[in-house]
Amino acid sequence: MSEPALGCTDDHCITCGDVAVEVRVIMADEARELATGHDDSGVATEIDTTLVGPVAPGDRLLVHAGTAIARIGEEHAA
Amino acid sequence: MRFVDEFRDAELGGALAREILSTVEPGRHYKIMEVCGGHTHSIYKYGVDDLLPANVELVHGPGCPVCVIPMGRVDDGIAIAHQPEVIFTCFGDMMRVPGSRGTLLEAKAQGADIRMVYSPLDAMRIAKSEPDRQVVFFAIGFETTAPSTALTLKRAKAEGLTNFSCICNHVTIVPPLRALLDSPDLRLDAFVGPGHVSTVVGARPFEFIPADYGKPIVVSGFEPVDILQSVVMILRQLQEGRCEVENQYKRVVPYQGNLRALEVMSEVFALRPHFEWRGLGFISQSGLRLSDAYADFDAEQRWPVPGVRVADPKACQCGEVLKGVIKPWECKVFGTACTPERPIGTCMVSSEGACAAYYNYGRFAREREVV
Repeated sequence: MSEPALGCTDDHCITCGDVAVEVRVIMADEARELATGHDDSGVATEIDTTLVGPVAPGDRLLVHAGTAIARIGEEHAA
Repeated sequence: MRFVDEFRDAELGGALAREILSTVEPGRHYKIMEVCGGHTHSIYKYGVDDLLPANVELVHGPGCPVCVIPMGRVDDGIAIAHQPEVIFTCFGDMMRVPGSRGTLLEAKAQGADIRMVYSPLDAMRIAKSEPDRQVVFFAIGFETTAPSTALTLKRAKAEGLTNFSCICNHVTIVPPLRALLDSPDLRLDAFVGPGHVSTVVGARPFEFIPADYGKPIVVSGFEPVDILQSVVMILRQLQEGRCEVENQYKRVVPYQGNLRALEVMSEVFALRPHFEWRGLGFISQSGLRLSDAYADFDAEQRWPVPGVRVADPKACQCGEVLKGVIKPWECKVFGTACTPERPIGTCMVSSEGACAAYYNYGRFAREREVV
């Protein structure tokens, strides 16, 4: 696995609790609740998908510290 | 990038800035705290502050976990990192946070095996590939990050890993907000609420802010248009005499939060009776420890740690900055003795820290036109 761009950069810091990045799923391992995805810069990384349920290639996820914390594109009620 | 493009639109930003200008009452000063360091960073990166009239003041809150970590906890981490059998892992920014006798980066230079990771899962991966070593993860962060640690520990337990543990410094967002609201130093009109913490906890936990303190809060996204729209929503509430929790970031924040995340956190963590916050002191039930079911993964139970409270350097005014009492450039050592290259205070370490955001984007002072 290459070093992901999802770490501390000028734009975002994984340590600082509230920063997350968009990742597109390219491969899903439903049994282990893991997926491989890449961010806008194309760097691949492994993601824990437990919190968002089953994912499929093409899904867009909001990822923080290696864990998908939300799906992108679902509008929630107020 | 579809998620962000429309939220960086200059025309839309300009329209919102005009709406803000037309909504504020001349002569009234609005003090709005953005709780989260991610917001602080965006505000200065995109110049959101420059689009606001001078009587709308943004106050930077305590929502950067690196900035609020006390020196004593860094010392505890360094003590474990120096154990010969230990591979100590942490996020990048944590490496430069000063303890009383140096940083983790300096401990690494002295020979400790300290490695930067991008996620707790990365740390666990190291443990699996180095079965003869003990891998310790320095867990830090609010409720956004805590589920990631919890899920990793669940995986470690399920796989029977015995050489992986964590020193838990996770904190929760509501107690420090209540402490700030109870502080006599600070008078706030409203809050821009943390966006990604709210993907986990939802917007509901913030209902105490309007209910108990009579102040609006708008949970906000992180792009410039998100923040400007949140300011508009706050000003409208104040103008109309409303006081509510509103959710500007509905595209990812469910009002009730992520129930699976809350469930896994309650399984893996338990509340500490109190936890020290830099600049804010000890706050009751604001920190997390590993629950009894996960005590085997608690690094603080595997190795002795100093556990000593260390006072902040006298020159450092991080406490006042974190409470929004002073602006970063008003600190005596800002930009002189304390810089991102050689930080004295934690607010200068992380890019989300208020001092680093001001320093990196050239905000050494601020003068704006009064409406």
